[in-house]
Amino acid sequence: MENWAIEAKDLVKKFPQRAPSNGNGAQTKKAPARWWPFRKREPKPLFTAVDGVSLQIERGEIFGLLGPNGAGKSTTIRMLCTLLEPTSGTAIINGFDITRQATQVRQSLGTLLAGERSIYWKLSGRENLEYFATLYHIPPAIAKKRVEELIERMELKERANELVEKYSTGMRQRIAISKALLARPPILLLDEPTLGLDPQAARNLRELILDLQKEGHTILLTTHYMEEADQLSDRIGIIDQGKIIALDTPEGLKRRIEQREIVRLEVAGWYEKMGEQVRQLPGIEDLTVRKVEGDDLWEVSVQSLNLRQSLPALVGLVNHNGSHLVNMNIQKPSLEDVFIHLTGKALRD
Amino acid sequence: MTVETQSLPAGSLARPSFSSDLRALWAVAYREWLYVVRYPTWALSLLVWPVIFPLLYLLTARALSGADGSGLAQFQANTGVGDYVGYIVVGTTIWMWQNVVLWNVGFSLRGEQMRGTLESNWLMPTRRFTYLLGSSIPHLLTMMLFLAISAFEFAVLFGVRFEGSLWLAMLVVLVSIPSVYGLGFAFASLVITAREANAFVFLVRGLVMIFCGITYPVNLLPAWMQPIAAFLPQTYIIRAMRSAALSTAGLEAIVPDLQILLVFGLAWLVLGYGMFQWMERRARKSGAIGQY
Repeated sequence: MENWAIEAKDLVKKFPQRAPSNGNGAQTKKAPARWWPFRKREPKPLFTAVDGVSLQIERGEIFGLLGPNGAGKSTTIRMLCTLLEPTSGTAIINGFDITRQATQVRQSLGTLLAGERSIYWKLSGRENLEYFATLYHIPPAIAKKRVEELIERMELKERANELVEKYSTGMRQRIAISKALLARPPILLLDEPTLGLDPQAARNLRELILDLQKEGHTILLTTHYMEEADQLSDRIGIIDQGKIIALDTPEGLKRRIEQREIVRLEVAGWYEKMGEQVRQLPGIEDLTVRKVEGDDLWEVSVQSLNLRQSLPALVGLVNHNGSHLVNMNIQKPSLEDVFIHLTGKALRD
Repeated sequence: MTVETQSLPAGSLARPSFSSDLRALWAVAYREWLYVVRYPTWALSLLVWPVIFPLLYLLTARALSGADGSGLAQFQANTGVGDYVGYIVVGTTIWMWQNVVLWNVGFSLRGEQMRGTLESNWLMPTRRFTYLLGSSIPHLLTMMLFLAISAFEFAVLFGVRFEGSLWLAMLVVLVSIPSVYGLGFAFASLVITAREANAFVFLVRGLVMIFCGITYPVNLLPAWMQPIAAFLPQTYIIRAMRSAALSTAGLEAIVPDLQILLVFGLAWLVLGYGMFQWMERRARKSGAIGQY
């Protein structure tokens, strides 16, 4: 048997479903309770958040779990880091079972969840790290050295004694990452690590993640940013509706739709029926439309098996009935296009 | 649970041991203390509340006893105590102690959950009960300060004469701690499961207020209410404290109450720990730890 860093076996997580809404945001009325209190209760309907996820992650690998909000990424991470108990299935982290050896699993992991809210804002950056180092059972002398090392590495020396509430989002995220690194755990779980960061801070964090891989850490990161998954991951699992629907290297995933051509259009005056008309054009495989916020423009992404055949009709169609083409370019397939091909929807839908 | 060193991941800086467990407990207590002192308004309430709260009952008692205090004879007949001020302030202070424990200890995990730090703590390889136990320590210390300030203020502002023994009063406090904090632990687990504290606090403090005799002797309660009072540890804490602080009856007078309090204390600590374990298992299934 291979010595995987992480091996998930058919992980399933179901939650009881909340009472359905009546459409006005209010919950529908329950049936009136009968007087007899020992009547048999009807089981609550279950919502499946993770539906049979299996994956193996090699030591030293960066594995990206990519999917839209609500796809099951965070639930998977929460099961792996022992915060959630799977409904069925299990996972082995660094050789330890997540249900039977939870403490050893937590010793093996550095986990970043919920970013800046995962640290204490009324403590300084240094106090936060010293606190969590003690909870990791790092001896005081080693902890002191390690905290200084991380403060230095994260370029927080000048502000380490200030309360975290005075930090920027990027600085808080660096403290949160430092917290995950304190005990030098072999495996890092990073849930949406760049969410909410400005572009520069996000770029710095991505560089840090690549450096951590060079130092030997295995990294499982979740993201809904295609470019991030593409840039960082050795392999990517695309997750949608709780299932891994594709798992390969970024290049391998893109090769799946290599024979396709992608044309991106910016169209003014788009209307719904036009989408149906475009789909009926010969050679058109997939289509996604997204309104540009604050503008009367729509971004349209079209996948075609034969662009030479489809393009004249496509351009003619969008320059019709008051709508017109503003911009157009033809691109190589990206991970976003792979996602559209696999799920029929854009990642940010 | 502390893991064996040989089963630790290679390269880890962690060295779990009994002393590292104690250091973790201390770290939680110190972190909670930093939070207490960095929200300094608590100091104001520490000074003001001991005076304001019993005042309501003291003024009511003064009104009922008449301008010449002629009604006090009946009070003395009922309670065996002539100093109604001391009688009331002991009862109200114990009530406030339990009330503050319900809010502070009972709300400690929920507060972490609302801040978003509970999951961070839960991810650490530290025994999870440590967080509840550790965060209670600073509140225990501030409550000891609260009791001392209360006694000082009552003596100076209301002229209460604590004729009993300070050591016996401290013994009563010490023996009461397991009951008072055991209830707080059980409460913390309920609050994090229900994600709501107010209804529970109002219920428990209302029960203590009515059944435990904070301003009147329990034997004045209607007959059907008195057995309920007998099942609440605060009834014995208040009675023992009145005897210890206000009378010269000595240790013998409070021994039976202290024995009952030790039994209650053990029961509440076991119940508090059991409820925490139940909550922790339930939260692992439902994902409640990360929910706001």
